[in-house]
Amino acid sequence: MPSTHPALTFSLAGTPSAIGEAKILLPLSVARDAVIDVRALLVHPMDTGFFRDAEGNPIPAYFVNAVTIAYGGEQVARFEWTSGISRDPFVRFPLRASREAPVQITWKDNKGGVYQQSVDLKFA
Amino acid sequence: MSSDKTSRYADRGGSRSDEAPGSTGDSSAADAGRRGFLRAGVLAAAGLVLGRPLLAAPGVASNVRGGGARHAGGAMPATAGPDDEMIDAVRLLLKAKFGDRQVQTGHVQLDIPTDAPDGRAVPAILDIDLPITGSSYVAAYYLLVDHNPDICLATYHLTPASGEGPIETRIKMRRTSYVRAIAEMNTGEVWSAATKVFVGLNGCG
Repeated sequence: MPSTHPALTFSLAGTPSAIGEAKILLPLSVARDAVIDVRALLVHPMDTGFFRDAEGNPIPAYFVNAVTIAYGGEQVARFEWTSGISRDPFVRFPLRASREAPVQITWKDNKGGVYQQSVDLKFA
Repeated sequence: MSSDKTSRYADRGGSRSDEAPGSTGDSSAADAGRRGFLRAGVLAAAGLVLGRPLLAAPGVASNVRGGGARHAGGAMPATAGPDDEMIDAVRLLLKAKFGDRQVQTGHVQLDIPTDAPDGRAVPAILDIDLPITGSSYVAAYYLLVDHNPDICLATYHLTPASGEGPIETRIKMRRTSYVRAIAEMNTGEVWSAATKVFVGLNGCG
């Protein structure tokens, strides 16, 4: 039976594996002014600081706490996260496709790490 | 979302309701004659047979009843619910965030499994059924877990450019507790929904 799942455009080929690698997925066909689902995944351990490793040493807190979504250079959404978000944080959010422009997502973690990924939104 | 849970509670509520007519039938028949007792028994049996379909017949209504019967029919106090099980830390947090604004129940949809064997990744979807326009939109979604170290574990600030649609994420949960989704409109209204999630493995440490 053929898959009915809509084809998606990826911003990164293959599967992200190292900390900070990210992937953004957009629907393959986007109509003007349609509200689309944007899916984004970042590879990050999201350590809470409450766990210990095999030797009994505490694992320090290390998590993404700020996410910003820019569409054509303009900020359209901003997320505040804590370590309560799961490992390799995934998020799906709506976006009104008003024009052809890049969608850029920036993740910042509590140790100063900044990770960016962007994908061009095109009408088809 | 919670069809399994709802039907489970509906069954439980229904069976309790079934027992009630049976027991009253027996007690009223105790001072009647043998013939009356038999008649009452037959009626009670008929009630047992018919009771479930009669109670369960209106589909939506029975779901609503199921939710209510869960609190009203058992040993739990009639008022027990998400608001009554709210711990002080959550009350203080809501007070700090929204001040004197009433956090109303409704319009928000929180789609989350009621049983989470693994608390390290529990999928949650937030949505709202109010019309989203340029002048009336969700300014922010808040996701709260009562018994997590960080109660308000995610905040999603949106703008009219976001349009309307669900926000999906995966969260960690320490133990069984209420998960609350709160939507703050740009007009100042605050809507919420809560679901109790039963957690197996502690995901927070």
